Amino acid sequence: MALDRTQSTKLLQEVLATAAKVAPGAQAKVGIVSAREANARFAKGGITSAGDVNETTLTVGLAFGKRHASSTTNQLDARSLRDVVVRTREMAKLAPEDPEYMPPLGAQKYASAGAAYDPAIEKLDATALADAAQSALRAAKDASVDLAGYLQHRTEAWGLADSAGLSAYHLETPVEFTATARTPDGTGSGWGGAWTNRWRELDAGATSTVAIDKALKSRKARALAPGRYTVVLEPAAVANLISFLAWSLDARRADEGRSFFAKAGGGTKLGERLFGEHITFRSDPGRPEMPFTPFDEEGLPILPTTWIDRGQVAALEYSRYWAAKQSKTPTGRPEGYELLGGTESSAKLVSGVKRGVLITRFWYLRWLDPMTMTVTGLTRDGVFLIEGGEVTGPVNNFRFNESPINLLKNADGLASQVRVGNKRVPALRSHEFNLASVSNAV
Amino acid sequence: MKLSRRRFIAGTSGALLLAAGRLSDARGLLTDPLLSSVIDTALGTAKRAGATYADVRMVRRRAEQISTREDHVEGVGASDSYGFGVRVIADGAWGFAASPTVNTNEAARVAALAVAVAKANARALAAPVKLAPAPAVVDVWQTALTKDPFRIPLEEKAAFLIAINAEALKVPGVKFCSSSIQSLGEWKLLTTSEGSSIEQNITRIAPAYTVTAVDAKGGDSVTRTHELPARQAGWEYVEQSSFFADARRMGEDAVEKLKAASVEPGKRTIILAPSNLWLTIHESIGHSTELDRMLGYEANMAGTSFATVEQLGKLRYGASLLTFYADKTTPGGLATCGYDDDGVKTQRWDLISKGVLTHVQTTREQAAWIGETASRGTCYGEDYKAFPFQRMPNVSLASGERDLTVEDLIAATDDGIYITGDGSWSIDHQRYNFQFGGQMFYEVKKGKIARPLRDVAYQANSLEFWGSCDLLGGPRAWELHGALYDGKGEPGQVNAVSHGCPPGRFTANVVNSRKS
Repeated sequence: MALDRTQSTKLLQEVLATAAKVAPGAQAKVGIVSAREANARFAKGGITSAGDVNETTLTVGLAFGKRHASSTTNQLDARSLRDVVVRTREMAKLAPEDPEYMPPLGAQKYASAGAAYDPAIEKLDATALADAAQSALRAAKDASVDLAGYLQHRTEAWGLADSAGLSAYHLETPVEFTATARTPDGTGSGWGGAWTNRWRELDAGATSTVAIDKALKSRKARALAPGRYTVVLEPAAVANLISFLAWSLDARRADEGRSFFAKAGGGTKLGERLFGEHITFRSDPGRPEMPFTPFDEEGLPILPTTWIDRGQVAALEYSRYWAAKQSKTPTGRPEGYELLGGTESSAKLVSGVKRGVLITRFWYLRWLDPMTMTVTGLTRDGVFLIEGGEVTGPVNNFRFNESPINLLKNADGLASQVRVGNKRVPALRSHEFNLASVSNAV
Repeated sequence: MKLSRRRFIAGTSGALLLAAGRLSDARGLLTDPLLSSVIDTALGTAKRAGATYADVRMVRRRAEQISTREDHVEGVGASDSYGFGVRVIADGAWGFAASPTVNTNEAARVAALAVAVAKANARALAAPVKLAPAPAVVDVWQTALTKDPFRIPLEEKAAFLIAINAEALKVPGVKFCSSSIQSLGEWKLLTTSEGSSIEQNITRIAPAYTVTAVDAKGGDSVTRTHELPARQAGWEYVEQSSFFADARRMGEDAVEKLKAASVEPGKRTIILAPSNLWLTIHESIGHSTELDRMLGYEANMAGTSFATVEQLGKLRYGASLLTFYADKTTPGGLATCGYDDDGVKTQRWDLISKGVLTHVQTTREQAAWIGETASRGTCYGEDYKAFPFQRMPNVSLASGERDLTVEDLIAATDDGIYITGDGSWSIDHQRYNFQFGGQMFYEVKKGKIARPLRDVAYQANSLEFWGSCDLLGGPRAWELHGALYDGKGEPGQVNAVSHGCPPGRFTANVVNSRKS
């Protein structure tokens, strides 16, 4: 179960006190994640497995000068707590000096993230999950399709403290529902997903209906040759690709000349104009539509930051060490990112396409080349041909080899934002997207 | 008969042992005196609450990681998790609950919760769960090793890694080298309501380093990762390898790759080293022969499979020189153990015999789905809080009958590309279309290595690719590779798994991974 703020703070202070006693002179950083997670999987007309588990991870970091180590345990009795401190002390003493070690942060101020927590969720029992799964299964039965899906809710507390006075606590209740519908003849497949921190906002039946409709519409796809196409990517597909942009924001890798944001001849692309004015990429833990932890693993506040501002590289991510070395302000690494949307509806995006492809989501994305940010992956669960501004029918799946940089450079239409996991992104229209080979998968 | 400490360490199978006696003597790694009462309480509570089957898995997972870059240590860390999970069948449905708080009160709460979850699920059940019979077993099993990696001092590991970095950095053009060693311990005690009590202790080790060469002027960089795979073994595995001795060559490889010609795409003959081919086996043979995936149970996450149950004994999967087998007993294999998490003794069997699909991977629940009377023993849950389900065993390609080495394959090739090591990998959700990279790429002309290449990836359809195999290395060229973190299921779980194979020659579409 998730510890409340008082429990979390008390426990962390006890560990700090133990550290002060058994490792005098050491700087200490401690953290605890405590959670209850309940889930249900369903497929082939019924619930196939379900669980309700408690978990805890206590992390202790100790440093003697620049020699440091960290250990985790999930056992919270007094002896285990002492054992983990002692073990960390022994490891830290053995560790060689780390010139990049950063001392504890001390007290910080954090923005409120109250929208992340719904007290109703920790009160739910197994019947709540079973009922939601049943509503999904009923929708599938009515449509005579197979539906496989997953529903999870989690109540998680994260507390941090350090020997310089830092104290942080965050409580959240993320809920996730995804479903994949397949037609019995094996020729159609569709997907739907929903993420929220409020139980009442979840509508498993409605999200399943999206998947079911797509499966029915994607039956008996016709062959479409690989090539460069105008594409309309639905939000899930945009979120898949944008993850690689988020990963590439690390300033150090850019400064070291080994990522897309490295500039030929040295330096970074900070300040360069990469995209049109309509492309803005940012992070804000306080957005009620997608709240996330307002601090990072060390307790550094995660502030609202615009990484790409109207097409221009406005900020890169700096760790504390790299920021100190480069005389910059550390940003930490946020859990969530958003690509700002536009005013067009998804239907309007499609209506502007003479000939192109509508893509539901991607799968198995992997790096090909970090210098160009080129990524490979595949379409799945609903690919449709657009002709004359209208969706005219399903087509086969593709493997793509493409860069999110090209995607955003060529983007000329954005719909409104939708939450997909820890991203908020719009459906997007782009051009010259490299659908490199055909996949026979359905 | 009690189990002696010595026998536990040796890891040999004992005669039938009484659980109570064994527990008091054999649990060498945990000292919780409440262990037996926790298990008894959980099983008793589950039965009284209406469970027709129950098992308790107590799992302790340990990990130690040290990572370095260039001349210094980046991080030293250890993790330790312990707890128990109770899995039950009640009213025909699975229920599962778990906790890290190991005492009898919590055992009663968790067991009752598992039954409540099962009963809630029973309202939405397609068909009652039926387990294939398995004999009750009391036994212990342990990784064969001589040097426990957890007992090697961190200082020694740090010095070893930094020395590797220093060697690689001596090569002009090499700018960075990152290295790490992970030591992983998995101890588990499975007790079932059918009378099984199985204790296993598994140790894995994963050494790794990556060298980066940078052309700052041209704004370019490439990496070269050493190909030594993770293994179920002790520290002696690292000592006996060429991991350290290769450091300079890894640096030279990176610089060579940075300057190499970018590949011209097209249909090509490719020769794949075992260090590359294992991952292709994992993705296009291992995953597509998982029964739950074939039947649609994994459709929402990992997808389904092009291979179907109806095709067993009929589907020509590849050339007739190819036989793939599943084997959770392969020495050193990452998935190797004595018993699976259903308590079924591990075994070896063919999945594809002489190119034809013959068998699949099953658990006790799944055997009946295809009319089989016994499980193949592939059930696994990653830790105490993970619901055990079907996971991939070690899946390997048998060596060819001719005693060929990779040099023989190169000598027999007029025009092709030789690929070593694994790079980028991606495959569709029914396992048809894949695309794999590698570490090093060489153009082969008239039976000889002609020049290095870069930006190479090969793309193919699984059946066409395996059907194109026309040369296979022999027993001397067979190597065991593998991965620690194969993902499957919801919530996602990882599984460590090895794949052995000889080098092979194939035809595939070569694509340029940079010029998309």
